[in-house]
Amino acid sequence: MNRRCFLQQTLSTAAVLTAAARAQTSNSPAAPPAPSAAEAPALIDTNIHLFDWPFRRLKYSRTADLVAKLRRHRVREAWSGSFEALLTKDVSGVNARLAEECRGHPGFLIPIGTVNPAWPDWEEDLRRCHEVHRMPGIRLYPRYHGLAVNDPEMIRLLRLATERGLLVQIALELEDPRVHHPVLQLPPLDVGTIAQGLKAVPAARVQLLDCTFSFQLPIVQPLLDLANVTFDFSSFESVGILDRLLNEKAGGRGTPIAPERLLFGSHAPYFPVEAALLRLFESPLTRSQLEPLMAGNARRLLSAVSTAP
Amino acid sequence: MNATDFAFDPALYGLPTRAQLRALRIWDLHYHGFNNATDEGPHQRMMVFAERLGIERVVSLDIGGSRTDPLESSPFEAVQRRILEKQKDKVSGMVRIEPSDPDGSCRKMEEWIKNGPCVGIKYAGFNRDGITCSHRNNDPIIRLARELGAMVYIHTWMKIGGQPRRPGGGNLAGESTPADVVELAKRFPDVNLICGHSGGDWELGTRTVRQQKNVFFEFAGSDPHSGAVDHAVRELGIDRIVWGGHGPSRSYATELSKVLDADLTDTQQAQIFGGNARRLAQPIFARKGYRMSP
Repeated sequence: MNRRCFLQQTLSTAAVLTAAARAQTSNSPAAPPAPSAAEAPALIDTNIHLFDWPFRRLKYSRTADLVAKLRRHRVREAWSGSFEALLTKDVSGVNARLAEECRGHPGFLIPIGTVNPAWPDWEEDLRRCHEVHRMPGIRLYPRYHGLAVNDPEMIRLLRLATERGLLVQIALELEDPRVHHPVLQLPPLDVGTIAQGLKAVPAARVQLLDCTFSFQLPIVQPLLDLANVTFDFSSFESVGILDRLLNEKAGGRGTPIAPERLLFGSHAPYFPVEAALLRLFESPLTRSQLEPLMAGNARRLLSAVSTAP
Repeated sequence: MNATDFAFDPALYGLPTRAQLRALRIWDLHYHGFNNATDEGPHQRMMVFAERLGIERVVSLDIGGSRTDPLESSPFEAVQRRILEKQKDKVSGMVRIEPSDPDGSCRKMEEWIKNGPCVGIKYAGFNRDGITCSHRNNDPIIRLARELGAMVYIHTWMKIGGQPRRPGGGNLAGESTPADVVELAKRFPDVNLICGHSGGDWELGTRTVRQQKNVFFEFAGSDPHSGAVDHAVRELGIDRIVWGGHGPSRSYATELSKVLDADLTDTQQAQIFGGNARRLAQPIFARKGYRMSP
């Protein structure tokens, strides 16, 4: 099912939020006062990229500009991949430059290197990410690298990363295929093969990024069944989507998604930081629902991984 | 929690507060709260979110007919008409026309615009006979729109596809491109046309329409790209950009972020979020006696 179909399905009556009605009819005459600045939690952005998008000069492609922009939105930590990872063959160089750039913003930019299992000796890239650059995780681009998540080599990579205790982020759809450059032809997004690949390594700690499929559809249930898989919500669409997923239903079973499965990710600088941030405010979520999404889940996810050999 | 309560102050996160959003006087020119609906429930629920985010007015693009045939009558039309009359201070409507049937389209415009509550027409991304907006079939429709002072919204995309792969090569039959809008606009230089969805690809869309001053640009219904609105302001000028929400299928967060990301003053933001739309709507609102401050 393509992206457009997913979006169109969200037009259904059911998709338009009984959460809204819940908020509308709520009778909480004395809502607690909004917390002060000191009480408002800072954000951990689990999905940004540094350097140049291959097809357009992005507004915040300069690292210093992006960091300043994120700080203005109360982000205190950003997990950073490199756009160079998409098409560059010298992955070792990509990761070295990423690590060096992040060192300029210690404690704020957390480098997440990449490994392309389609290239020779990718195991050395994995080792360097972990042992040389001391990265807490790796970010994979299966569609740009031409290997499905259920490919045997991809599964071997998942296993080796897991043995090292690394977080594995998998970027699914960085750009709407309807606006790809005409020369770019990526394999289609296939939820089934992703679930199949991840199921083969149940101990892997995985975060899926840039998920454009509708979480209301039964097709997503195999991913929801994998308790070790989390999601950033940068590409979740439809009005009030977070409220609906957390309070109503997701997947084929029609039950709410567990809040610990969702993490804030902006997909900046390709997307405006405001897009994901506003999702937190668009939905009438409570403080206790928001805090894990803003930072708590990310903190927990990264605290569980190894950053040193 | 009430619909307009926020657990944390948006200002602490570098976002506008609800009061600031209201001050921007946002007009959502791309509202799908009636799309595929059979009762007013989806609209009512959407309006809760519009209220939460300070949207001043929504303009539905789905008035009359059905999704597959905009000219066939449906029982829901009576509900739509009642809402448009009862909530006229917050809700406006455009009728979907069918370029495969110009006469039928004009009859629908007479019924819903000249003699009814609607303020404009919408070209959808598909139609019965695969007629794009540049086809001569559309001339009587646009002539009538001009006579009525109606707004004209045209869905446009340039989907990558075809052989050889090219922008627009993946479009549906009858799905217009910005180039179609420009061709139509040249035949009707005194009619303002809204090029919807920025053509899907705003980099190519701005290039296509920039010379044609009676073409306006709207970004709704595509992914939010940082820098897109800055680019459009540079290429088209700020007075040619209007805003739409595309809910419920798109998040208001997505669509608001496109403008908030841009380097604009509050006044410029307000112009894109609503000022330009009110300028386009002024003739038909005046004709109908609808209240509107500029």
